[in-house]
Amino acid sequence: MHKRIATLVIFLALALSGSARAAELHPPAEVKAGSSFKIVTGGSGQATLYLIGPYSVSKRLVNAGSEVAVEGGEVEHAGRYRAILCAGNCTSADFLVRPAEAARLSMLVHPSRVPVADVNAISAVTFVFDRFHNLVTAPTPVEFKVIPKLGPELSQTRTSDHGVAWVRMTSDRKEGPVKIGAVLGKTSEIRVVQQVAADACHLHIKSTPAGHNVLLETDPVRDCAGNSVPDGTVVSFTKVDDRGKTTVDVPIKKGIAKVEVPVAGTAHITVASGVVTGNELSLAGGH
Amino acid sequence: MSTGARTWKWLALATGSLILASSVTAKDLPQVRLNADNLGPRPIEDLTRQVVSRDYANAWESLAYALAGNRTDLLEGYFTGWARTNLSNRIADQRRTGIRTRYVDHGHTLEAIFYSPAGDAMQLRDQARLEIQTFDGDKLIDSEQVTLHYIVLMTPGADRWLVRDLEVLQAKE
Repeated sequence: MHKRIATLVIFLALALSGSARAAELHPPAEVKAGSSFKIVTGGSGQATLYLIGPYSVSKRLVNAGSEVAVEGGEVEHAGRYRAILCAGNCTSADFLVRPAEAARLSMLVHPSRVPVADVNAISAVTFVFDRFHNLVTAPTPVEFKVIPKLGPELSQTRTSDHGVAWVRMTSDRKEGPVKIGAVLGKTSEIRVVQQVAADACHLHIKSTPAGHNVLLETDPVRDCAGNSVPDGTVVSFTKVDDRGKTTVDVPIKKGIAKVEVPVAGTAHITVASGVVTGNELSLAGGH
Repeated sequence: MSTGARTWKWLALATGSLILASSVTAKDLPQVRLNADNLGPRPIEDLTRQVVSRDYANAWESLAYALAGNRTDLLEGYFTGWARTNLSNRIADQRRTGIRTRYVDHGHTLEAIFYSPAGDAMQLRDQARLEIQTFDGDKLIDSEQVTLHYIVLMTPGADRWLVRDLEVLQAKE
């Protein structure tokens, strides 16, 4: 009986010491993305080493008890990695891969077309990445630039928070393209925003006789900063005369909108574009 | 049985199947609790809050199925950009090495931390409680209970929010 118990104890001790040898697996606690390093293993004989990363999986035969070299290409993705060593039994250990230095920017600029002099209408958001496309969460300064077609360049630096840096900007008073840039070290991203005239301002119409009809015509349609409202913008002429009420929508062509309308008796004419209204005309007998 | 009666029976069966399918899907979805109290600069709309939670849960459900079955096609619904490319690469690696990963999802505590002024990107922090089992063929080689802290970037698609970036910041055993 005692002999059997002693044999069992020896067997268990051997088994435990065997698994203890296989359990020795020592990766570093942290490594930088793309850096080579070594995992120290314990035990003896052949074993299988698995490296399970967030976006990669590898498997290789190793000699337990040796140092296993891990190439930088195997740990390009930041995140948590699990090393599993199997030699009969399996044992595992974790390590964290931190992003490398900030090297890339991804930028979202909105909108692509914006009315002039619109307060905080343009937003630029950048995401800071390392060269392996890992988000760099460490605070990183990003320089935002506004490069107008004419006039001086403006810049402002913002420090990223969790890999995000952003600014809001007011559009210029003059129409035309403006470049919005973000700079991080030697890398930069540029987007172009088209600034267009805002709503029409001081809309003014005049009338001239045209046979039995009347020609209604606007002055050149401009916004409040003097920029020409783009061709195609609709101007609505509304006529109320003895025949009733009629509205005609006319797109601006070459800066003005015009239309010929018949008039019966006394007519009252108004003009509008979007939410902007212009002057009113009262015509008697078609003139 | 008349043609009309047969039609009604098939309609009833089809409706029953649909109800069953939707309830199974709803039951299978991982639990996601979203806190958007400190979100800025854009305030979050109620509908967006609901949709982000739902789609993030859907993303994790599809990720679990994709990693367990080594199927990249399951990533198409809720992942885009680098997240989809990188997860597809991982699944290709799993196939090549004979590995499968099973995620038993015990829920996500999600905190929205950045919502872009134009509403075209949202960044979130996730504390995910997971049981991760790793198989080589049919052999279980590793099993662990872990809490992982993710940083997540989601962007809106045509009818849903998609996971564009998913990165572990730290782990707690």
